[in-house]
Amino acid sequence: MHFDPVANMQLLISGLAVGSIYALVALGFVLIYNAVGVVNFAQGEFVMLPSYVAVTFMLPAVAVFGTIVHWQVPVVGVYVLVLLFMVAFALVFNRIAYHPLRDRGWMPVVISTIGVSIFLRNAVQQVWGSQPIVMPSLFSVDTIFLGPLRIRPQDLLILGVTAVLIAFQFYLFERTTLGKQMRATAQDRATARLIGIRVGRIVAITFVYSAVLGAVSGLLVAPLFTVTKEMGALIALKAFAASIVGGFGSIPGAIIGGLTIGVIETFGGFYVSSAYVDAIAFIILISVLLVRPQGLFGERVAEKA
Amino acid sequence: MSASGPAPEAAANAVAAAETGLLEVRGLVKRFGGVTAVNALDMTVRPGDIHALIGPNGSGKTTTLNVISALYRADGGSLRFDGAELIGRPSHAIAKLGIARTFQNIRLFGDLSVIENVMIGRHVRTRTGFIGALLPGGATAREERATRARALELLRFVDLESAAGAAARSLPYGDQRRVEIARALASEPRLLLLDEPAAGMNPAETDTLVALLRRIREQGTTLLLIEHDMNLVMSVSDRITVLNFGQHIAEGPPEEMPRNPDVITAYLGGTLDAA
Amino acid sequence: MNSSVTLSLSKGAPLAALIVVLALIPAFVRSDYLLTLLDTAGIYAIVVMGLGILLGFAGQLSLAQAAFLGIGAYTSGFLTVNLGWPVWPAMGAAMAVSALVGLIVGYPCLRLSGHYLALATIGFGIITQLVLINWKPVTNGSDGMTGIPPPQIGSFVFDTYGRYYYIVLVAVLVCAYVAWRIKTTRVGRALEAIRENEIAARATGIDATRYKIIAFVLAGTYAGLAGSLLAHMTKFISPDSYSFDQSVVFLVMLIVGGSASITGAILGAVLLWFLPEVLRPLKTSYIMVYGAAVIAMIVFMPRGLIGLLETLRARTVRRPPETA
Repeated sequence: MHFDPVANMQLLISGLAVGSIYALVALGFVLIYNAVGVVNFAQGEFVMLPSYVAVTFMLPAVAVFGTIVHWQVPVVGVYVLVLLFMVAFALVFNRIAYHPLRDRGWMPVVISTIGVSIFLRNAVQQVWGSQPIVMPSLFSVDTIFLGPLRIRPQDLLILGVTAVLIAFQFYLFERTTLGKQMRATAQDRATARLIGIRVGRIVAITFVYSAVLGAVSGLLVAPLFTVTKEMGALIALKAFAASIVGGFGSIPGAIIGGLTIGVIETFGGFYVSSAYVDAIAFIILISVLLVRPQGLFGERVAEKA
Repeated sequence: MSASGPAPEAAANAVAAAETGLLEVRGLVKRFGGVTAVNALDMTVRPGDIHALIGPNGSGKTTTLNVISALYRADGGSLRFDGAELIGRPSHAIAKLGIARTFQNIRLFGDLSVIENVMIGRHVRTRTGFIGALLPGGATAREERATRARALELLRFVDLESAAGAAARSLPYGDQRRVEIARALASEPRLLLLDEPAAGMNPAETDTLVALLRRIREQGTTLLLIEHDMNLVMSVSDRITVLNFGQHIAEGPPEEMPRNPDVITAYLGGTLDAA
Repeated sequence: MNSSVTLSLSKGAPLAALIVVLALIPAFVRSDYLLTLLDTAGIYAIVVMGLGILLGFAGQLSLAQAAFLGIGAYTSGFLTVNLGWPVWPAMGAAMAVSALVGLIVGYPCLRLSGHYLALATIGFGIITQLVLINWKPVTNGSDGMTGIPPPQIGSFVFDTYGRYYYIVLVAVLVCAYVAWRIKTTRVGRALEAIRENEIAARATGIDATRYKIIAFVLAGTYAGLAGSLLAHMTKFISPDSYSFDQSVVFLVMLIVGGSASITGAILGAVLLWFLPEVLRPLKTSYIMVYGAAVIAMIVFMPRGLIGLLETLRARTVRRPPETA
């Protein structure tokens, strides 16, 4: 096998693109985990649900509850509607799935979020039926040429948007008061409360932010595949794996973990085996868990006696 | 006299000259990131003693106990228990060797009953495994009965027999402490480590505890306890080790402590007229 | 509160009566459809009991039961269909292979805890399903494996759901007995100690990692047995059935029934397997109700139905508390 720089470059871009999706979803995970100490097993539905909402307003005709509706709206309107929907959804999610269980340890919350995941995956089936829906791409062509490289414009969009969001994330956490409050809450909730931070509000904002990240991920990735009730599930599991590889609780870790898994998965799928592509993320995960469970950037946590 | 305590060599010599201890701590070191919580600690616990470990907050007392019971791994030094080196062994092996403990924040098996908590304490002295569990007769049943009987005896010893069937977490704080002690005693330890056993107790409860500690010692168990209650420490201990900044400041019988200038400095941070 | 009660005579009689009633069911139930449901409910009860040992007793969250179900089913299927083994030894082999895989996977993974363990088991499950789909020479891939023979004793072949019911019944009773014996003896207490407070358990002399591995192997073996039973009953297996979602179903069954209780495990499995039938008027939306029920249960009834029954019983039986 000879080294083909063009093919490898294309794979790299493709890998970084899918890795960006994992990174964004992983970021959503980690933010929630840092804020409330809980793993959200419904994170995939944070990606899937807004995708369904989006196509409802993007397409000229969509089946909702069995009847065809024509709710098409200009693209900007779609984004606004999706955003509003996800904000509302995140607040409801916080209230129902997390808030009543916040003092009961991690397992009840994991189970509760699993329940939400099951509920939502079936709820969308009730509303939109079980046929996959195609989300139209923003671009009129499938591939473009950058020099010798054949690239999907959607991949470039993903890379661009992700870069912007990462910059925004950095700015938010390092330069704004809200970001500092979120970091303080994540580090030590009791003390944060004592110095006057309204922890309940910060938690709600964290859920909302995480949901918005999910919405962006959904809007970015849906045009590449189709919108189905299962589209979020595998992405979320791999994103979870990515956040552990990067170091659970670490924000740069989540991003780098996601990109790493995306790239290795893409190269592995091409050079090693396409059938086992989905296994790659988990093989990486299990290896990391066994060799260095704190991941790339995580900290060892010692339990106090 | 320097604020860092008596010349370390003198103290070490004094320790080495003492009779061989049941537990010999030599040069124990434990670091957490940049902080050295235990800093070349020397301590000798003699068999049959009630030995108290005292010192200001943050002096490394609980960390020392945690290293002895292998909750943390030591970064240096040696821990010899009746000649056997403890460092490197996992917690459950330490229990098997004959060291049991209680915790500063009580760690009971909350959802289980009081008697089950104590029965679990018998784990290292019993043998029924998976295969034994499947065979209903004979040896398994006998061991079960013996375990339960011994647990009941121990509850009687700490005066909690009536609570045997209650859920452990439903007991008042002081009673939970005693259950923890009973559970520790169930493994027939030669050395019992107690981390602030009198915490949160009123004087009456403390007296009961002191009586209990003495009864435990009478049965042949050596005790090493961390305590802040100075009355309790002075009245019940045979020997005291004073810690500060993870190091041994003084070690000896209680009477010597108030006269020791380094002890006074450690606690009060300044000099005092000799008593 | 959990109590390790030895079976006294007063409990033995109702239990025997129950077993007799259960044994007579096929005599009265003629509907093949109902018998299939009962058989499957029993098989799933075995899976859930296994999970109960690992999660209910030892407090370790594993989402890999479906993977072991698949390993048991395909081992049994492969040995009988491809290698011509008789069914009973193949079932034994299915259990042995599941146990072995459990040991190999458990040994490194049970050093992890909490979320990390859950995720490692999810990863193992996904990898297992991918292997089942792609290892065509052994598993026949997505087309599934057909022609799996039913077990027989002499010339008596267990090829009706009514007959198979007895195999399942015996298996459920044996598995329940084993789980109960574990729970009421030293091993079970050690597992529960680990769940309640692992640090204290270790300090008390329990080799927590070793016991967690034992629990993991047991859970896997139970599921492997169940998979084998399922394969020889339905005579056809395919990789789709052994997904992460299926593992989630088993988890929900255990939670709903009551995780630290063996009866709870059985109850949860049977109930949630029959629930779709009750909810059949709702058709496909029953899963939605299911999901909502999970959230409601964990918020309001964290100890499951058995926990609820125990609380009710404690309230009605208890004498007024004496003042402190």
